[in-house]
Amino acid sequence: MAVLVVVLASIPLWFVLFESSQLSFEQWQQLWSSRLPELLWNTLSLAVLVAIGCFVLGVSAAWWIARHDFPGRQYAIWLMVLPLTIPTYVFAHIYTTLFEADGWIGIVWQYLFGSADTIPDIYNIFGVTMVLSLAGFSYVFLLAHSALSVSTQTLEEAAQIQGIRKAQVFWRINLPLLRPAIAAGLAVVVLHALSDFGAVSMLHFQTFTLSIYLQMSGRFDYQSAASLSLLLITLSLTFLVLERFFRARQRYYSCRQTRKHTLKPASPIKIAAIWFWLGLITLFSFALPLAWMLSWSWEAWTQDLINQAFWGYAFNSLSLAAMSATIATVIALPIALYNNRQRSKFSNTLIQVSSVGFVLPGPVVALGILTFIIAVFPIVYGGIFALLLALIIRFLPLAVQSQDAAMQQLTPSIEQAGRILGATPLENLRRVIIPMIRGGLASAWVLVFIDALKELPATLILRPTGFDTLPVRIWIEASEEMLELAAPAALMLVVGTLPVLWILMKNGNRKH
Amino acid sequence: MKSLKSMIIVLFTAVLSTISIAQAADSIVVFSGRSDKFVKPVIKQFTKETGINVTIHSGESTALLNKLKIEGNRTDADLYLSNDAGTLQKGSDLGLFAKLPSSLASPIDANFRAQDDTWIGLSARARVLVVNTNSPFADSLHSVFDLADPKLNGKLGITHSTNESYIAGVSVYMLASDKEKTKAWLSSMKNNVNGKVFNKHSKIVSAVASGKLAAGLVNHYYVYRHLDKHPDAPLKVILPDQGANEMGVAWNVAGIAMSKHSKKRALAEKLLAYLVSEKGQKVFSDVNREYPTRAGVAASSVVPAAGSYKIANVPMYQLGKYRNETIDLIEAVGMP
Repeated sequence: MAVLVVVLASIPLWFVLFESSQLSFEQWQQLWSSRLPELLWNTLSLAVLVAIGCFVLGVSAAWWIARHDFPGRQYAIWLMVLPLTIPTYVFAHIYTTLFEADGWIGIVWQYLFGSADTIPDIYNIFGVTMVLSLAGFSYVFLLAHSALSVSTQTLEEAAQIQGIRKAQVFWRINLPLLRPAIAAGLAVVVLHALSDFGAVSMLHFQTFTLSIYLQMSGRFDYQSAASLSLLLITLSLTFLVLERFFRARQRYYSCRQTRKHTLKPASPIKIAAIWFWLGLITLFSFALPLAWMLSWSWEAWTQDLINQAFWGYAFNSLSLAAMSATIATVIALPIALYNNRQRSKFSNTLIQVSSVGFVLPGPVVALGILTFIIAVFPIVYGGIFALLLALIIRFLPLAVQSQDAAMQQLTPSIEQAGRILGATPLENLRRVIIPMIRGGLASAWVLVFIDALKELPATLILRPTGFDTLPVRIWIEASEEMLELAAPAALMLVVGTLPVLWILMKNGNRKH
Repeated sequence: MKSLKSMIIVLFTAVLSTISIAQAADSIVVFSGRSDKFVKPVIKQFTKETGINVTIHSGESTALLNKLKIEGNRTDADLYLSNDAGTLQKGSDLGLFAKLPSSLASPIDANFRAQDDTWIGLSARARVLVVNTNSPFADSLHSVFDLADPKLNGKLGITHSTNESYIAGVSVYMLASDKEKTKAWLSSMKNNVNGKVFNKHSKIVSAVASGKLAAGLVNHYYVYRHLDKHPDAPLKVILPDQGANEMGVAWNVAGIAMSKHSKKRALAEKLLAYLVSEKGQKVFSDVNREYPTRAGVAASSVVPAAGSYKIANVPMYQLGKYRNETIDLIEAVGMP
């Protein structure tokens, strides 16, 4: 069962391997000499900058919120995860309009500095870094925050008794302890950055993903595109191995906290400082984009542009995301279970291969599936099947990882007890395992739902004829600069994500 | 658990049913790489007159052409509409389109359709210079090659080099003048823009109007669109390269082709017939102030009349043949 799912998930990988094997040595050489150095440099430096950006935003916010008691603390947690509701291409689009001479930031800039000529240009690596950091730091925040909430006050106190200065505690105790959580968070962020399509194409920044897309769609050159993808996969896998290495060391560090951390109330100056920083983050990561969406949506509302077609797109998006999330959660179960039982090299390889959808650029996943279905199962083509398959393959790793993590709490003795008491394996699964990993299942569903709702490149290619989703409409309207049509769709995405985000947060709180 | 299951089933059926609606019998599917707002008016008119429903599946021209290619005979598409002759010809070269009956092709000037009638141009646009009338360059620019002038450093607006119109323009210059000259011109322009290019033609026109830039290279209708909203903007259109030995203005067409695998040819041909009819031509081109490709149908009166200036003598199918070579040239220069 697990093997079957993994084989399914690796379809795009086979496509990439097959197509790139068609490329001759000379073509490889040409690719290597002409494009690669620049692409490698662009992609790697973007990944590093985004990692730094997310680290600064996510860890600082997590530290303030997890370790200080201040008014409005529980709202602050929410503010830090809300940016997850906004896709990168929406961020990119909003910021390009804000930074224009007659955009909000442009106007403020002219007021402050007197001239429109000095407004920074965001069609470069710094613009892309800003967009991807604002859109992604919440992942780092979430993981760092939950790690900080449970981490070991005893160790900190011990260190202080040993004479360490208070300011050093963070760098010498907390940061090393946090390393696995931060590494995991940064891994998610960097993988998103490597495979991001929306923001880099809106801002015209040549990374691997964009170049693969242009190679494929502009030149009909699937072989070069596949070869570039192969390099991107190698890059991402190297990175994942590094991340696993960091995470593996977690075992040595973790020790259970018996008492809950006591939070010290912050002084008024500190409160002001905290809220200034958190407010600044929120302003750029959520408040400004939201205000932009609201103001253009209002425009749309007054012009009566929100019609039945719009609600149709919303319905398509929500049902598509719900279906993908449900199926992905169900089929991730055998993989996670298998890995949990075996913990062998083979089971680990299965997990790695199942994560290939996450590291491959969306357009490549889509093309791989399209080619596969047309060649092997043409009969199912034309409906929603191909699109669902693409979304599931792309986001299966999210489901596998969160279930795998949840299953680590299962001890074999519980299952054995179930079997001794006469439960069949299936009954055991239903009555013992699933209730115990319910939290992990819910997070898996929510994570897949959120990403599937925002998914753009594969949906653009694979959606059935006449089937538009909110991201597709945002893309089309934004490229025609119909802001009053793009904004309500973006707003609808935010509204649609909020309830499931609430489930995720509630779930997380219950654990502690 | 049970309620969840039934909810999922309801969702499935609901979504599947919305899809099947889109493929009802008396309807055709158009893959469209042209802005919805310029396609919908003429389609609406067509549906009103004939009762034939048209599903517009929009996206990027090149992405849709890829889809058409991979889908093969499984495609839903009956017609393929693109804003760029280069992309259309690429589809013909890939053998994706059916030959159109001559009653549909012959009303269109031979320069504006495929040699084998596998696609026809519907509306044409001119690549022009737009200048700010207050700038010192208002009267000194006469040729696109003047944009290489180092005096324009920091004052020139061009689009990103993945733009279809941009690529098509460069193809024309390469074919109508000379490849080396075009390459040198591109490198000088690259110096002039210092890495800052625009992702939209409309933003170039705004920047020129505000005086931030002196000149830009754009499609003609962007200027008139800006003048609609700001009639007093200090903008002037220059039709470049009009001298006796010069190449003339580069044109490009938006056009349409029929999928080789269309199962509803009769219906698709009805839409084609409407689009090449005088009435259809007028509606299709007027929404964007483009030039109708059918002889005898006049363009909007605000744009310079089609016969009043010299047009580069490059048949549109050439834009497809030389598309990859043009992209190679642009990449060799390293245009952003």
